Amino acid sequence: MKGLLPDRRSQAGAVFLLAMLAAVLLLPLLLGQDPNLTDRGAGFWAPPGGEHLLGTDEVGRDILARLLYGGRISLLVGFASAALSALIGIPLGLLAGYKGRGWEFWIMRGCDVIQAFPNLILVLCLVSLLGPSVWNLILVMGGFGWPSIARLVYGSTLAVKGRAYVEAARALGASDGEILLRTILPNVVAPVWASLPMKVGRAILWESSLSFLGVGLRTPQASWGNLMNGALELATLTGRPWAWVPPGLCIVGTVLALLLVGEGLRKGLNPRRA
Amino acid sequence: MNKHWKRAGALLLTLALVLGLSCCGTPEQETAPEGEAVNLNYGLSNPWDALMPYYSLSGSNYSRIIYDKLYDRLAYIQADGTCLPRAAKSWESTEDGRAILFTLDERAAFHDGTPVTAQHWVETIQLVTDPACGILGQNSFACLAGTNELGAQAAGETLGAEAVDDTHLKLSFKTPMIPEEFLVEYNRDLYVLPTHLLQDIPVEELVTDGFWSKPVGSGPCKFVSEVSGSTLVLEANQDYPLGAPGFDTMTITVMDKANLLTALIAGDLDYYAFGANVSEENQPAALEAGFEVVADEVPSTFYELMLNNTSIADKEIRQAIDKAIDKTLLCQQATGSLGSAATSSILPDTPYAAPGHGSYDPAQAQKLLEGSSYDGQTYTLACTSARSSIAALLQQDLEAIGLKVEIETVDSATLFAGMSDGLYDMAVASHTPTALPLWFTGSRFTQDNNIFQVQELAPYAKLISAVKAETQEQPRMDRVDELEQYLADQVPFVPLWFSASLRIQSKTVSGIDYPASTCCNENVWQWSKAAP
Repeated sequence: MKGLLPDRRSQAGAVFLLAMLAAVLLLPLLLGQDPNLTDRGAGFWAPPGGEHLLGTDEVGRDILARLLYGGRISLLVGFASAALSALIGIPLGLLAGYKGRGWEFWIMRGCDVIQAFPNLILVLCLVSLLGPSVWNLILVMGGFGWPSIARLVYGSTLAVKGRAYVEAARALGASDGEILLRTILPNVVAPVWASLPMKVGRAILWESSLSFLGVGLRTPQASWGNLMNGALELATLTGRPWAWVPPGLCIVGTVLALLLVGEGLRKGLNPRRA
Repeated sequence: MNKHWKRAGALLLTLALVLGLSCCGTPEQETAPEGEAVNLNYGLSNPWDALMPYYSLSGSNYSRIIYDKLYDRLAYIQADGTCLPRAAKSWESTEDGRAILFTLDERAAFHDGTPVTAQHWVETIQLVTDPACGILGQNSFACLAGTNELGAQAAGETLGAEAVDDTHLKLSFKTPMIPEEFLVEYNRDLYVLPTHLLQDIPVEELVTDGFWSKPVGSGPCKFVSEVSGSTLVLEANQDYPLGAPGFDTMTITVMDKANLLTALIAGDLDYYAFGANVSEENQPAALEAGFEVVADEVPSTFYELMLNNTSIADKEIRQAIDKAIDKTLLCQQATGSLGSAATSSILPDTPYAAPGHGSYDPAQAQKLLEGSSYDGQTYTLACTSARSSIAALLQQDLEAIGLKVEIETVDSATLFAGMSDGLYDMAVASHTPTALPLWFTGSRFTQDNNIFQVQELAPYAKLISAVKAETQEQPRMDRVDELEQYLADQVPFVPLWFSASLRIQSKTVSGIDYPASTCCNENVWQWSKAAP
């Protein structure tokens, strides 16, 4: 871990992320609270107390349970959409950088076109069209997040494709596919690892924004973003901080931790560090 | 040197671009009133559809409240059902109750200065009941003599709208009609159009013609400008017969429902529709900000669960749904202590109030469902985002008896269109009730407006006609009972609750009749905003 994350801040970020993952995966099993079930006894907007540690929401559901289940969704959306972006962006960046000409033109202009749109509005429209679901969110955010990764890989590929070890592989009769996968990819992928945590963080923020706007997930599914949605009401914003401060802190904490890990990875994977 | 020239050129180009863009103001900004003009800022949580008053796609009150300002109506309806003169100074029943004679205000004029006559009203009714005219809500005219059940003119019959002279309009009906009941039910959908300006427009193109992008009416406000779905600027009609509004311009802005109260507190709004109502839980914030809050005396909203009677064809499933819902809990969630669970669509505390639908009984609901043809399919429940909490509670209640429900959050227009098209199985909707027993059911069981997708309309139509035909109170109550019993048995929809409203009294505008906004009319000619 020290090799990949050389400083204390990034290690602290990684510990926070692992703790968060453990919490959203394991705590719901221990607590045994249904995130979608109204507790008629406790009532609506019950303040934090013994039975409901973070109180209940406007429908009488346990906020802690919704925070933990919502965390699963938010983290799933973040990691899965970043992975999808990487799956699309890495091969396209490699092809554009290595093959050049038509490949380079069409792939990089494709990046330009996607990046020229206001992303949030584009995603908002597509999610509205496809309908609210976790997988649609992942599909849309992952599908439109690849250009930055493709650019990163494209730049690095351009830098390494003329290197002697690539020429040597070619002279030994390696095919283009082998050169790309075995020779170039390992040498250009490090910056992508460093950028992925930031991408995860951005996807979590996007999901939160979309859910906050009411187009993210299907009711009654919870996510950190749609838990924040409750703060739209003035009475909640001013009088029920337990309903929106915890999901807000989870979003801020997780995104911050992801940024620290990304920064650490950038340092750790830098060949000049040694 | 060459490099410096390039830099200077780039700077000049940037400057030219910035100046060019900064000069690109919208026409509204250029014509905005200046100086001492008094502008009333009016908030609305949903946009209006179009400015053609007979072409509202959603048929929503958000459109009606806009038309109310641009176009004149026969009467002004107060929340308790009292009808006050507006375009009509008085009215009387004639011909054994089968006709109403309206005496029109001779001072009324369109915004272009042309006097409004009875002939304008007649021509308006002729236009909108023309079968070739694609208006929406034509069934509102189905009560008039000479129309078919869809409200279109019947071939070979005389339309029941006659201009006796310039100031006397006679409307004739198929069945006896009490004038006040006619006004309470139909006034909100009856506007006079400037037919003298519409003569050159083919009737087929009337509703979509460019005229409605800058409309001329005879209401208390004149059109100035519109940014569709966002902002509408009106100016006071100084010649309005009932009095000139006490402001120069009114800017109607669409904003999220959650922001209306904060905008009012911040001073960005002077008032918001409908009647500046505030939830019980937000009341302390309004009081703290120095506003006075007054509660309505009569319920102003009726909530229902619309059911698709074709996709949920088995009445035992519908009965199970009715019994599975804890309406008291829903009402408490939505209104706090301002509402009460509904047993029918008829307002409680009126002579026609009936026991109606059954009470919360999940065990009985489960039995009904088990004995029904329910095969475990998942039903789609549509709701607006503002009602997703209600939908979540409904989903829990229904899943508790074994009925699977998936929630679809959509906007209001999509919700009603989806129910009309049979796309959704259920939907949560709200309406503004009146004291009439047929205010809700009277228009929802026709071929033209079969929003519950009922397969057999005839039994409903027969029972509704029987109520309409009866003018004596006790026999009429008996007919209403028969209709309610049939509704309770068939459950084409589930009445949920009635709620009253809390109204924030505007600090800047006086003279507002807050509760009347629930009848889709506002007395803007009596509003007054002090100069800044």
